[in-house]
Amino acid sequence: MTTTAAPATTPVVGFDQVSKTYGSVRAVDGLSLRLYPGETVALLGPNGAGKSTTLDLLLGLKHPDTGTVSLFGGSPREAIVAGRVGAMLQSGGLMDEVTVEELVKLFCSLHPKPYKAADVMARAGIAQIADRKVNKLSGGQVQRVRFALATAGDSDLIILDEPTTGMDVSARQAFWATMREQADQGRTVLFATHYLEEADAIADRVLVLHRGRLLADGTAAEIKAKAGSRRVSFDLEGGIDEAALRALPFLTSVTVSNSGSAAGSGQTVRIQSSDADATVHALYGLGVYPRNLEVAGLGLEQAFVAITEAEEAKQS
Amino acid sequence: MNALIKLELARALRNKKFLFFSVLYPAILFLIFSSSSGSNQKVDDTGQTVATYLMVSMASFGALTAVLMGNSERIAKERESGWVRQLRMTTLPGRGYVLAKTASAAVVSLPSIIVVFAAAAVIKQVRLDAWQWLALTGVIWAGSLVFAALGVALGYLASGDAVRPITMIVYFGLSILGGLWMPSTTFPKILQDIAKWLPTHAYAALGRAIEQSQAPSTTDIAILAGYFVLFAGGAAWLYRKDTLKA
Repeated sequence: MTTTAAPATTPVVGFDQVSKTYGSVRAVDGLSLRLYPGETVALLGPNGAGKSTTLDLLLGLKHPDTGTVSLFGGSPREAIVAGRVGAMLQSGGLMDEVTVEELVKLFCSLHPKPYKAADVMARAGIAQIADRKVNKLSGGQVQRVRFALATAGDSDLIILDEPTTGMDVSARQAFWATMREQADQGRTVLFATHYLEEADAIADRVLVLHRGRLLADGTAAEIKAKAGSRRVSFDLEGGIDEAALRALPFLTSVTVSNSGSAAGSGQTVRIQSSDADATVHALYGLGVYPRNLEVAGLGLEQAFVAITEAEEAKQS
Repeated sequence: MNALIKLELARALRNKKFLFFSVLYPAILFLIFSSSSGSNQKVDDTGQTVATYLMVSMASFGALTAVLMGNSERIAKERESGWVRQLRMTTLPGRGYVLAKTASAAVVSLPSIIVVFAAAAVIKQVRLDAWQWLALTGVIWAGSLVFAALGVALGYLASGDAVRPITMIVYFGLSILGGLWMPSTTFPKILQDIAKWLPTHAYAALGRAIEQSQAPSTTDIAILAGYFVLFAGGAAWLYRKDTLKA
């Protein structure tokens, strides 16, 4: 038992030591996590990390081998029957030979707290294709219809499994604007993605999943920090004491290369630091005069690669 | 669930191929098969005219087509497309999907029975008492539930490319061997022995008993009930297995 004070609210999602194995593959391995009301959470990981299995477990489509999954303090099925969950599954097919409007109306009628079908379609941006047959839609349109089905009623939790698959850049941006409206209404939103910029731009909490285990849990900024995620680069004239450079605080890596400038003896130093301010401060303390000093944030993508590589190195 | 039944039905009624094969095709087969014999010609052993005999066969065949075809292939396809998963994200109870499929198939199977009856009465001058028409409709319609359950079981048993051939083999096998296309009394002995135990044979026999104003044989009722328990139990078991795996 942990002794840290738990927030008074019931978690929206609770995973407690959940494992799921297929044959010899551990798709989800001892996963524990809690999501709280109002959070917008990205579930981030490469293909095969266990994202879809995690969402299937969460929604009760699969049952864990060990551990427990709860939604709003009850079973996933209870939460779905109470109309508290709307989900857009990657593997969720649509009924064919019916129109978009008929399908949306069906889902509105199946929801305990439904919205008007016309409003649902307008919000999802599919009002103009309401009369089209579902099996005659483009990939991006299908995704929007699925989104409409997931938001047919006033659910407290919205689950989206790689929702922008098959969308072009502008469709993707429009989609996330729509989704933000959902989050702004106080809903909890959990989305799986391997588009790292999406997690960075939209989520206020990022869960990094790798080989079925939770590798990192924090804000996008924290995850970047965890991976040593600011890059400091500068040029130095004359000799460099590499040992002194490597002794700088908060380093995660150092590379030194010839800067190739006409001046000849100059060298370029690239440092990754988990606390760039402290590193740069200590750098000046070495009594050197760095030129062309640049400090830049790493994208979440590099942060993510660094975390998963570190994990793999640990395992091998 | 009513909303899903309505939508399933709307979709079935839009599907012209499905409507043709389940509603018109049995009536057309009836007219073709019965045209080769005179209206007074009797079927051996039964004392019925060929038209009267074939009417029950083809009405049973039509109902069988509507419920078996309507369920098996669609369920297999929709399991694969993920539609079944999508529905599990709603308040619809698990069995609601299967019930909606069966209910909409039953709505289509009723006209398929009535169209054969109409063709028999109008074109082939088949004459029965009013209670016989009603009882025939009721028995053939209710009996089709046995094959609806079989359709559901096949839909959960087979998947992808396998479901169509398997359904076709079962469908034609049961139809022909069960004596729906031609009287099983014309079969060689060994096939007659097999036919006696098929659900389609018992199914049509119930209708024929009504035509002859006889009480249906308890053996036929028992056979049909046995198959219903087998198919419905199999469907329920396969459904549960699929739900755990999905």
